[in-house]
Amino acid sequence: MNRFAPLLVLPLLVVGLSAQPRTPAPEPAGISAAEVALVRSLVPPGAGEDQFASIPWQVKLWDARKLAATEGKPILLWEMDGHPLGCG
Amino acid sequence: MSAFADVEVIRLATRELIPVCADDWYQRRRRDAEGAFFKKIYEQSPRRGAPTSTKQGIYLFTADGELLGFNNAGNSVEAVRGLIGNALKKFKALPEARRKPGGMIVEDFGKPDPQYSRSPPVGGAVVQVFSRILERDGTKLKKGTCDFVGGGMPGRDFLWLTSDEITAMVPQQPKLGEVSAMPAAVSRRLARFHLVDNTRGEPAFWEDADVRKAQLRLTVTKLTPETIEWSCSGEVLLATSADVTQADRGFEVRLSGTLRYRREKKVFDQWELTALGEHWGSSTYTKEGERPGRTWLGLTFQLVGTPTPAQTVPPQAARDFNRYFGRD
Repeated sequence: MNRFAPLLVLPLLVVGLSAQPRTPAPEPAGISAAEVALVRSLVPPGAGEDQFASIPWQVKLWDARKLAATEGKPILLWEMDGHPLGCG
Repeated sequence: MSAFADVEVIRLATRELIPVCADDWYQRRRRDAEGAFFKKIYEQSPRRGAPTSTKQGIYLFTADGELLGFNNAGNSVEAVRGLIGNALKKFKALPEARRKPGGMIVEDFGKPDPQYSRSPPVGGAVVQVFSRILERDGTKLKKGTCDFVGGGMPGRDFLWLTSDEITAMVPQQPKLGEVSAMPAAVSRRLARFHLVDNTRGEPAFWEDADVRKAQLRLTVTKLTPETIEWSCSGEVLLATSADVTQADRGFEVRLSGTLRYRREKKVFDQWELTALGEHWGSSTYTKEGERPGRTWLGLTFQLVGTPTPAQTVPPQAARDFNRYFGRD
């Protein structure tokens, strides 16, 4: 046998191995449909938890000024450090 | 915020006033007509002074800039009712020619300060995000309880998607069963800025390096001439240390959801995710009421159709706009 045969075969082996299809990444587990339904019933605001959202908040002070001038009303500004409607 | 859940305050705010809300972080910094006007207002109040200090509070004023009343946040319902009542008396005492509809002139706004003005991306989407602490009771889940007032209530935020990101989610020639990854920009934004515990105060966000895993997979489950529908399943691991067991803050969370795209209109009409996992640790403004150890936190993501003004409040993390959209 040619003494160089292993050297010839080795690259072919490497190429062959690298050409094998990779094992696909496992599908992320996700959450069961039952748990999805439960979380969606628990997390969003329930009865009585979203009262403040019934106020017709503007978010741009200039729009509020124009409305106030048009309607002849004063402005109520809730100025908060952070998301102004972040909590009930 | 509980004063704004009061029936009488709601009635007054809805019928007698023009209610507006704002994040003080933007308002006291912006250098445009709106910033100048807000400064004119707070300079009449106990919040006067350098814009480096907070201007948080409840203000009542006229459209032409006269302060009618101010109170700090966190006061009782009675105090807020009194504040509004006194302000309305002062307003009604103004000359009729000035306070009548059309009696005050509002000048042109001009250009907004691009650094501190925020609007949802044109052609994009707004997704409502709610969070809540949960507890396991055997095999059941229930709402969590918290020593911090309001900590058992939902946290709220919005997630913004751009029109390019929406386009990137939709394959040119979709096939039933086709699997793809949620665009990396969307996965990272969701993980870094929305899988957070914001139930007790402004949360710290996750650094890019804290995202140990963010795998969100989309599978085409339904194809019609009008729509493409996907299921989404995901796993995200966030931890402030590469050795998760040593991380002082972390969140190990699974997600599931459904997305549906209208082909002709080129919009999503459903973009819904649910997240559930174990969170631990706290940050500067969320320490009070922190539950020890790993505790359950749930989140829901729901597409908003046509947003009302209140639904265009920018995401909490959008203060750093470039970072929020992954341009850092």
